Amino acid sequence: MRITCPHCGARDVQEFTYLGDANPQRPEGMATTEAAMHDYVYQRDNPAGRHRELWYHSAGCHAWLVVTRDTRTHAIETVETARARAQGDAA
Amino acid sequence: MADAATIAWTPRGSWAGILASGEFGTAGQPGVTIEARDGLGIASLIAGDGRDEALAQALQGHIGLGLPLTPCIVSSARHSLVWAGPDQWHLIAPDRNGFDELLRDLAPLAAISDQSDGRAALRLSGPKVRDTLAKGCMLDLHPSAFPVGTAALTSIAYMGVHLWRIADDPASGDAVFEIMVARSMAGSFWSWLSASAAEFGCKVTATGRG
Ligand SMILES: [Zn+2]
Repeated sequence: MRITCPHCGARDVQEFTYLGDANPQRPEGMATTEAAMHDYVYQRDNPAGRHRELWYHSAGCHAWLVVTRDTRTHAIETVETARARAQGDAA
Repeated sequence: MADAATIAWTPRGSWAGILASGEFGTAGQPGVTIEARDGLGIASLIAGDGRDEALAQALQGHIGLGLPLTPCIVSSARHSLVWAGPDQWHLIAPDRNGFDELLRDLAPLAAISDQSDGRAALRLSGPKVRDTLAKGCMLDLHPSAFPVGTAALTSIAYMGVHLWRIADDPASGDAVFEIMVARSMAGSFWSWLSASAAEFGCKVTATGRG
């Protein structure tokens, strides 16, 4: 599997570190319920198919990336920087 | 109690005790030439939020170079600026004359860290330089994929490396690469590089510093 880093270009997957699902949003700690925090920390879907996930270009430019990947084929649909993604989410 | 000892600290080059001038490996015309790049002034620059433009202007004024926004290296007669990740660069000078002053002038515009003693750099050339690097480098270094001026952050033999290609050797026409590793990795990196280059015959020029 190769991931095309928006900064560095296509690189072998061994240059990257996987974090996991990019969708969960951390609840406001003091305001939320214990159950909501539990779900945020522990509950993950395990989809066979399209998955938005966080990868870190640890042996390259050290950028956090949001990769949309098919977990059955490893086909990668999009790669965005997490920074651009966060700015997009905020907008 | 013992008398207080007088300790004299002597500077040591980053390749001291690792690299020695001479030839090794297959005899004959060397396929790879390796030169220690020692005593450089090296600093990492990280632009403050929204200050990329001001930093770029200051660098233009001080050293006549613009900030590369893609993975590449730009050089003047004396200085180089190498892309080192998003909003990050390495400023490199051939020695440390005036380097502290330059960093002080840039300090208001960026997070700056002097890496002169923290990195170890080599210059590699020769007709077999790509065959040598291909044994550990996952990047395509063919001229069509990695032209003069390209820079990259990657790993070789599980060690993080920063490498770039400078102008071809004017005498031989061979490609010239420079590789920089964390200084603590210099010994391990040399162990990989020397083993990889040996079959092609290798000529080493150490600086003799420290
Ligand atoms: Zn990258």
